[in-house]
Amino acid sequence: MSFDNLSSNWSKLRVKRPQPDQYKDAPYKWAMVIDLDACTGCNACTTACYAENNLPVVGKERFLAGQAMHWLRIERYWGEGEELTQEFPEQGAEFLPMMCQQCESAPCEIVCPVGATHHTPDGLNSQVYNRCIGSRYCSANCPYKVRYFNWFDYPTNAWPSPLEQQLNPDVTVRSKGVMEKCTFCVQRLTEAKSKARTEGRIVNDGEVLTACAQACPSSAIHFGNLADSSSKVAKMWNAQQVELSAYPQKKDEQREKDEQLGKNEEVVRGYRILEDLRTYPSVVYLERIRSAEV
Amino acid sequence: MNIHNEEQEVATEPRFVIKPKDINDEISWAQINEDVLRSLERPRALYWVIFFASLGLFCWGVYCEIYQYNTGLGVAALNNPQVWGLYIATFIFWIGMSHSGTLLSAILLIMHADWRKPIYRFAEAMTTFSLMTAGLFVLVHLGRVWQFYYVVAYPSERWTWPNFSSPLVWDATAIGSYLTTSVIFLYFGMIPDLAICRDKATGVRRLFYRVLSVGWKGTDWQWANFRVTYLTLACLLIPLAVSVHSIVATDFAVSQQPGWHTTSFPPYFVAGALYSGCAAIITLFIILRYTFRFEQYMTIPILEKLCKLTFAISMVWTYLNMIEYAAVWYGTDPVAKQTLIFRATGTYAGWWWAMNILGSVVPFTLTFKALRTHIPTMMVVSLLLNLGMWIERFMIVTPTFAHGYYPWTWNDHWWPNWVQIGIIAGSFGWFTMLFMLFCKIFPSVSMYEVKEMVYHRSQARKGAALLAASAPQPAKS
Amino acid sequence: MSKKSYILALFNDFEAAARAIAALRESSLKGFKMRDVTLKSPIDHPECAAELGPRPVYIQIFSLIGALLGSSLGFLAISSAQANFLRQPRGGFPIVPVPPNMVITYELFILTAVFFTIISCYVVFTLHHQKNVLYNAAISVDKIGILVKAEPEAIAGLKDIFNRHHALEISEC
Repeated sequence: MSFDNLSSNWSKLRVKRPQPDQYKDAPYKWAMVIDLDACTGCNACTTACYAENNLPVVGKERFLAGQAMHWLRIERYWGEGEELTQEFPEQGAEFLPMMCQQCESAPCEIVCPVGATHHTPDGLNSQVYNRCIGSRYCSANCPYKVRYFNWFDYPTNAWPSPLEQQLNPDVTVRSKGVMEKCTFCVQRLTEAKSKARTEGRIVNDGEVLTACAQACPSSAIHFGNLADSSSKVAKMWNAQQVELSAYPQKKDEQREKDEQLGKNEEVVRGYRILEDLRTYPSVVYLERIRSAEV
Repeated sequence: MNIHNEEQEVATEPRFVIKPKDINDEISWAQINEDVLRSLERPRALYWVIFFASLGLFCWGVYCEIYQYNTGLGVAALNNPQVWGLYIATFIFWIGMSHSGTLLSAILLIMHADWRKPIYRFAEAMTTFSLMTAGLFVLVHLGRVWQFYYVVAYPSERWTWPNFSSPLVWDATAIGSYLTTSVIFLYFGMIPDLAICRDKATGVRRLFYRVLSVGWKGTDWQWANFRVTYLTLACLLIPLAVSVHSIVATDFAVSQQPGWHTTSFPPYFVAGALYSGCAAIITLFIILRYTFRFEQYMTIPILEKLCKLTFAISMVWTYLNMIEYAAVWYGTDPVAKQTLIFRATGTYAGWWWAMNILGSVVPFTLTFKALRTHIPTMMVVSLLLNLGMWIERFMIVTPTFAHGYYPWTWNDHWWPNWVQIGIIAGSFGWFTMLFMLFCKIFPSVSMYEVKEMVYHRSQARKGAALLAASAPQPAKS
Repeated sequence: MSKKSYILALFNDFEAAARAIAALRESSLKGFKMRDVTLKSPIDHPECAAELGPRPVYIQIFSLIGALLGSSLGFLAISSAQANFLRQPRGGFPIVPVPPNMVITYELFILTAVFFTIISCYVVFTLHHQKNVLYNAAISVDKIGILVKAEPEAIAGLKDIFNRHHALEISEC
């Protein structure tokens, strides 16, 4: 039976990803745009993520040891391209929320020995907790290091009674030895898709938001369906001239040519992080434009 | 009339140069049997002391692993991004050490280098036990050890298979094949020796050897089939051994992390494996020679040849090491270059320099005959070379995690803790225990091959003497 | 078929044994065939064994069969497993990628060839096995033995030949 599968579908099985217009006919491709200009570093998104996804708070000691479990982390940078006068200046920090980029060509998916991670039809990188045996190769291969391993058995000690009452029942509580990461709140997506399917439609733009997008007070995080060309996220990706399956982006090639010719064209702010590694991430960051110090 | 007014003497010694004796070819075959079988007798007190010390070390490792198993891998000081630590480094070290046996048994077999004959048996045993020890680390380093069998391709009702694109699955296949083939190769090559043991043993041991020697009577058709099978196994084992460590290298090479994404990793790892394996053979050679009084068989000329082989391999390793640095230094990836500079000047710089000195400079002691033939020096040198190779594996794994693509995630103040070191010490105890058990149950020198070596060399010597005697004499004045 | 007898003669070295085998081959003694003469020795000596006549070895054919089976079945098994209904795309790579499949096929080809080789050798050993045949422990030390399976009438003649060639010890049953 599998041999028949193999012979009749051979050309489909040999397709490399991402393909241009891969999601043209697909109902969903979840993507994000994060505006670094709007981000104030308040950490509301991180806290919302902890609450929504049953993340354990590991404590100060383990945090310092590097064993934190924050799926979404706020990174702080000072003085891009400048010399700093002190190690942590009072003003001028730039904040960057970093979570799993749901790469189309994810380096983590290919190396899991047991196949606990793969790409879903709606463009997410999935992590299957009950298949994971904890070899941590996915984390070793992730260039962004956004995969977090359960170094200890948190279900038994992270939520002393009655704190376990606040856990989200839609999300698994992970035992020790499994890898976890941002899922774009897949539990919310599944619920929304199911409701929409009952009503015979696809999910509308803005109907479902990830916890971080919902919590952000300055609306720095935009989440939506890239396959729906009328969605906000799709329009922002278009405006920033970022294509999901392209590297290098045409605008970067154009900008290089312009620089060589001495032209100083306006730069659109949108970029993807570590794009030259050809991971084809699904998150576009908008460069910060306000001046560093107030 | 002769120009020189002196008597020309008839040449008394043979006119053909005889090589330095690797073995005294006048040893009687009965003597060979006796000397080797004596090593299987009841051990002395020192054996038990060392055995129980190894057992103690192994038990300490087991205790550390039980603590880690119950509490979680966090107790081993691992974190994000330092997710792999010493377990993977030591795993690669043990796999590397296993290549020596294949080199000696299989590669030198098809090259007809008969100086391998007295020493390949314990080298093959070392291969098998190194692989078993490496297998321990595969389990120890997993987050959910009890589900390790997900990596095996067994049919399940959920239709889930392992991810065949993952280098770890290639590892599992390759190491499984290599371990199986090594055990088969080791056992099969021992059959004539087990027949010798059977003939001399009494009681329960006789039954044990009789079962294992599968009716070996030294018959001509048995020898003919044996030879062909052994040679075929050797020819199959060599590409397997090369592929095993190349596949272990692809664990790193297929990743795009800086410091790992190098096509020279597979041959680099294989060279490092042969290197550490040869150094380990020198160590065990010296220990067995002294313990079992095998001076007649594990001779100094054979040690010299081993040392020369180790030196040659060390130069191959040095070249591949330098090439990796050169490719990064003159390449276009600025991040990989920064990672290389971090290796040489960052937190782990001391270890990096130690690795390069131990791996590339210390082998030059093997070029001096006076040092090569001095047993205590060779013991120390071989241990230093292996230390250098272990540090090499550590330097491959940790600095890339410490200094990857994403600066926010750099963690260059990471060091292992007592749990990791305890488990590694336990693995050395496990290996030593297995090897010591092997030496007392199975003959650690291949008796039939040594007999062949002695026979062929004495035949050659007699033939050379006959030729010399029948050669025309130089004219008298 | 009448019951066969066995006679085992021990010699000091291969030259003596070779001469004895040559004498057996040239003798006009009836009651035994060269096919039933075997040489027992502590080490392998192909030249001496060649005196007994051609005795082909077929092990490598089985190695080849194993290699071909292992490689073809291995590749098909892995590709079929990857192509089953739970098709899961991973990374940017095809669902049935060729290089990883080649790596595993290579390992399986060697493993299968090894299994076939060793099993065929074991089968050969078992097929040739004769129970309770004469054997002398000195053969595993340093003596060369020649075992002949013959009619009882020919034993005396064989014993004569062996004695003429300085056999150290002769046993029969």
